[in-house]
Amino acid sequence: MQLDFSFIGSAFWQLLGAIPTTLSITVVSVTAGLIIGAITAMLRMYQVPVLAQISSAYVTFIRGTPMLTHLLLIYFGLPVLIDGISQQLGWSFRSVDIPMIGFAYISFSITAGAYMSEVVRAGILAVDRGQVEAAQSVGMTTFQSLRRIIFPQALAAALPNLANSVIGMLHGSTLAFAVSVVDINAKAQIVASTNWKFFEAYLAAALIFWGLTILIERVAAGIEKRVGAYNRGGVS
Amino acid sequence: MIALNQISKSFGRHQVLENISLTVNTGEVVVILGPSGSGKTTLLRCVNYLEKPGSGEIAVGDFKVNCAQARRSDILQLRRKTAMVFQQYNLFRHKTALENVMEALLVVKKISFAEARKRSVALLEKVGLGAKLDEYPSRLSGGQQQRVGIARALALEPEVILFDEPTSALDPELVGEVLEVIRSIAREGITMIVVTHEMGFARDVANRVVFMDGGVIVEEGTPDDVFQRPKEERTKQFLRRITPEANYTI
Amino acid sequence: MGAPFDISYVFSFLPKLLDTLGVTLMIVAGSLLNGILAGFLVALPRMYKIPVLRTLAGIYLSFFRGTPILIQLFLFYYGLPEILKLVGLDLTRAPVMFFVILTYGLHTGAYAAEMIRASVAAVDRGQVEAAYAAGMTPYQAFSRIVLPQALAIAVPVFSNLVIALLKDTSLAFTLGVMEMTGKAQTLGTLTQHFIETYLALALIYLAISFTLEKLLVVAERHLTRHEIRESRSNSLFRLKKRGSLRTVMADIDIGKGGIR
Repeated sequence: MQLDFSFIGSAFWQLLGAIPTTLSITVVSVTAGLIIGAITAMLRMYQVPVLAQISSAYVTFIRGTPMLTHLLLIYFGLPVLIDGISQQLGWSFRSVDIPMIGFAYISFSITAGAYMSEVVRAGILAVDRGQVEAAQSVGMTTFQSLRRIIFPQALAAALPNLANSVIGMLHGSTLAFAVSVVDINAKAQIVASTNWKFFEAYLAAALIFWGLTILIERVAAGIEKRVGAYNRGGVS
Repeated sequence: MIALNQISKSFGRHQVLENISLTVNTGEVVVILGPSGSGKTTLLRCVNYLEKPGSGEIAVGDFKVNCAQARRSDILQLRRKTAMVFQQYNLFRHKTALENVMEALLVVKKISFAEARKRSVALLEKVGLGAKLDEYPSRLSGGQQQRVGIARALALEPEVILFDEPTSALDPELVGEVLEVIRSIAREGITMIVVTHEMGFARDVANRVVFMDGGVIVEEGTPDDVFQRPKEERTKQFLRRITPEANYTI
Repeated sequence: MGAPFDISYVFSFLPKLLDTLGVTLMIVAGSLLNGILAGFLVALPRMYKIPVLRTLAGIYLSFFRGTPILIQLFLFYYGLPEILKLVGLDLTRAPVMFFVILTYGLHTGAYAAEMIRASVAAVDRGQVEAAYAAGMTPYQAFSRIVLPQALAIAVPVFSNLVIALLKDTSLAFTLGVMEMTGKAQTLGTLTQHFIETYLALALIYLAISFTLEKLLVVAERHLTRHEIRESRSNSLFRLKKRGSLRTVMADIDIGKGGIR
């Protein structure tokens, strides 16, 4: 069997149609993940009783188990939970009303939240204590010092980790095939099954992911350059 | 005897050393002074080949290296005849004080463990750290770390010890203990080349003072000559600027 | 969907899943070995700036870090036999496990290479200078001074790498390997107790991750006994100690957080 170059091309065009699905899963999970992550990171850093422990357990569990298990647990577990509550309260909402991609959104957001929690925490810890003291010394309130001094510096410190998490979620979105969502990966399988040219189809899929990843890296590097301008030079 | 002959060195298009020749006799203490960027540290690092000189000749004892065609074995041999005390101490972070001193004895000189240990303990006691043998560098003060650095250099029994601003990174109150150790080994007749900003120390310990500026040796002579009766205008300017500092150092 | 939830199934599934733990661990160990080897092969030309090889290493890194492991698995499984057929090698009868370990190995290699490069780069330049000044050969300076310190710096990154690899192996079932996740799917389909199987599965992964992490923390303690340990303070913003290993780690980011 010869490598069919023209099929790589035609597979590539067909796969492009699945990019929005892949990107929407990535964007939703990263955005929701950031919110969950920021909240749990704060709960843990301020050591809020009970909530801090729950946050820690959540982060430990998610980071210690594969993303696929989160998806499968949500896919099978959430309907039982929802239908149970619905029935109790007499709602008409049933789990079958949730579209397949909804499970991917929910599950991947929960996954991303745990990783983002670490990203946020590391970013804030990277800010020198002297910066807080300096902010307080000129009379800023805690909120002011957080918003004007700590967050901008923490963001600069967290950017590389953040970019990696976004790439991780982009790549992780390929797991959506497990709940029958047709993303780039699942589309490659479908495209190939008609003529059995799996290699060509996955090559095209790999090229798309490679391109998207490089794009994210470039954008992150660009932002980093602007945000981290104050940090340039001086060390060596 | 150390003889540097026509040493030149440039970083890119910027020439840092221009045909420097300097002879240091056995047992002599030579202090190199000069403003920052004058090339004094680079010169010192060239003697140890941590910087590769562009051209010139380095002789230590009867061993001679032509810098334009130095082979790796030449460089290694040159380094084994010299020792360096660094501004930032550069103690091996994963080794204790004792292990730092022993390391080169075991690996480079290939001395037996028992003998290396005996010698190293003696050297650490000499620099006043007999009680800190098993401490890691991260647990020592800057002054203590630098004294370990000196013991490490002494252990090699080199023909010359090169001191690269050994007290510049230290808190002022720790400078004294390090200078005292250097002074005491100077009295034992160990050959030294010292780059420093400690004028009092230079006046006190040096047999000869060399003043460098702009990559050349401007003036050299006894401490009295250079400090009291400088001949060159550049030397006078430099001394005027740093003299106030010299009043409160030892 | 499925049978009603019954917690007792979780416990009865645990031993059944543990039967296939060996397969999972074999993939992890085999890939790790391959990965570290590949990592060194790729890191060296980059550290010593060897032309051509360095560019090839760069492309390798970019590809394996730029595409999902799932795609890589399919790509190698379907593609490698076809490519090797061109040079007359027949892989059509090679066991699936061969492709799985090869792919995970190459994937891990890309991250291991960055780990190696960054850890070596994080060792202070003055350490090498001091070694040279004492008359050590470049080999002695590397093996006695740089490597032990780089190793200590690398442990936390290595820890993340191994755990990420463990979690990634949950995708091997897509090629038909009967490891823990594959077994869980079979059990789920068989009994219709999906939630319980996946709960049991997650618990096992969690236990292994936890154990691995604890083991590597012990290793790290041992390798960094020369560093002052940062005491865990209760304040929100801990003081950053200059030159501490944890600070160094913050600067090393090989990008393998372990998502997936």
